Amino acid sequence: MSYKLTPVALIAMALYASGACAEETGTPMFSFSGFGTLGLVHSSEDKADFTSSYFKPNGAGYSHSWSADVDSLIGGQVTANLTPQLSAILQVISEQNYDTTYRPHVEWANIKYQFTPDISIRAGRVVLPAYLVSDYRKVGYTNPWVRPPIEVYRLIPISNSDGIDASYRVRVGELINTMWGSYGKSESRHPAGGAVKAKSLWGLSNTVEYGPLTARIAYLNANVTVESVKALFDAFRQFGPAGIAMADKYDFANKPFSFLALGASYDPGSWFIMGEWGSVESRSVGGKAAAWYVSGGYRLGNVTPYVTYAQINPDNLSDPGLNVSTLPPSLAGPATSLNTALNSLLSSKPSQRTVSVGGRWDFTKNTAFKLQYDHTRIEAGSTGILINTQPGFQLGGKINMFSATIDFVF
Amino acid sequence: MNRAGFIIIGLALCLVAAEAVADVVAVVSAKNPVTTLSKSQVVDIFLGKTSRFPDGSQAVPIDQVEGSAARDEFYLKFSDKSPAQIKAHWSKIIFTGRGQPPRAVSNSIEMKKFLNENPNAIGYIEQSAVDGSVKVLLSQ
Repeated sequence: MSYKLTPVALIAMALYASGACAEETGTPMFSFSGFGTLGLVHSSEDKADFTSSYFKPNGAGYSHSWSADVDSLIGGQVTANLTPQLSAILQVISEQNYDTTYRPHVEWANIKYQFTPDISIRAGRVVLPAYLVSDYRKVGYTNPWVRPPIEVYRLIPISNSDGIDASYRVRVGELINTMWGSYGKSESRHPAGGAVKAKSLWGLSNTVEYGPLTARIAYLNANVTVESVKALFDAFRQFGPAGIAMADKYDFANKPFSFLALGASYDPGSWFIMGEWGSVESRSVGGKAAAWYVSGGYRLGNVTPYVTYAQINPDNLSDPGLNVSTLPPSLAGPATSLNTALNSLLSSKPSQRTVSVGGRWDFTKNTAFKLQYDHTRIEAGSTGILINTQPGFQLGGKINMFSATIDFVF
Repeated sequence: MNRAGFIIIGLALCLVAAEAVADVVAVVSAKNPVTTLSKSQVVDIFLGKTSRFPDGSQAVPIDQVEGSAARDEFYLKFSDKSPAQIKAHWSKIIFTGRGQPPRAVSNSIEMKKFLNENPNAIGYIEQSAVDGSVKVLLSQ
């Protein structure tokens, strides 16, 4: 398909082309649904910000003692059932953007063709199903926690892809197996400047459901560019073969990137336990990282207390950089600055473990209130998941966070 | 007693109250050839995990309206899920465009009428509302 056809244009075309042929099916042609979260977060670390997404510019801690930007969002969705086989969906979300605005963005916009109840293809902006809860990671009401465990969910911060996907469901007795594949690309603006681009973004996943048990494996692959680090590695390339070798090792320009995830959940109704493990690898400053979590909860009527343990372990958090002692004095200064900048990027790779306890209270129809306490231990040499580190911030250390949200669907 | 204690006792009373609701049974039209379904087969149809009866014919689930005692009792009995869990289940499906929840009718009388006109539909009604127009699939 041509990328000149934006997802929105595709949907508009389908709407015009298909007219109102859905009437005879008895299902409404258009349906509107919405969801949202109002959240407040406090962090004990006041020399850096905690936030929920790689693409958010600030959060709780340094910028705000209590931040509403970390979790708050509102989303609306129109689904058009054009024929029994053909449907279109447009989902728009307003949340804190890279530039601190709440300008709405298109989260999904695609046309789906359902060949049979078990085989479908979609074209446009579709979900990037990296995780167990990828399909609805932004719909707080559907999840037990205030937010999906950040150690694991930050490995793949993007949530959608512009392209096509296909899914195929097979039923064998009580077992349901769903295979999924996609191809596309993605581009997101980052607070540090420029965009994060994923080209040739393809993925495969397989999900098995057997009664209350769900198990899943997913693999994603892309060529990723992080534009904000380009200038640094261009500068390294000025320092001869040693500088070029550094730049080749660490730059993030069209670098192969892969992701593998395994996950399972068991939810017989009155309690649940789930866990996921994920691993990313790229020959870049991002390097390698593996993360996992285990979470469980027990439903006492309308109240669901839960506990989660999560951790992320990256590879190197520092590098000696250019050998300054062999350089003439006029170049030693700039080289030292580059080494410092490189090490600052490496130390910003999260290395931490978190214990979370919380509760969800379904206090009224379609609305849940959640409280969550997180205790995070950041490993030596890492900023953890924190951003906007200020003078006086110490690498490593412990933080306590307190979050409250109201999640709703309508 | 502290507030948490009150909440727990209140919740326990709610559960007792729910148990006291008249028994709900899964039904199809008397014209539907299907005779028995397991609990999980019924649940899979209502939660959108399959759109077919075991014999391969189309199965169209029909709910009673949100907030009705029959609906809450049906899901609690068949899937051990609360109304909030069912809402969360459908939110997961709606917000990625994978489907829409079943159509809903307002009570057991409407349900029987709908099933009679749509032999491929499956619904649930109070045991006391069962008559010759419907066939009980699973009764406990």
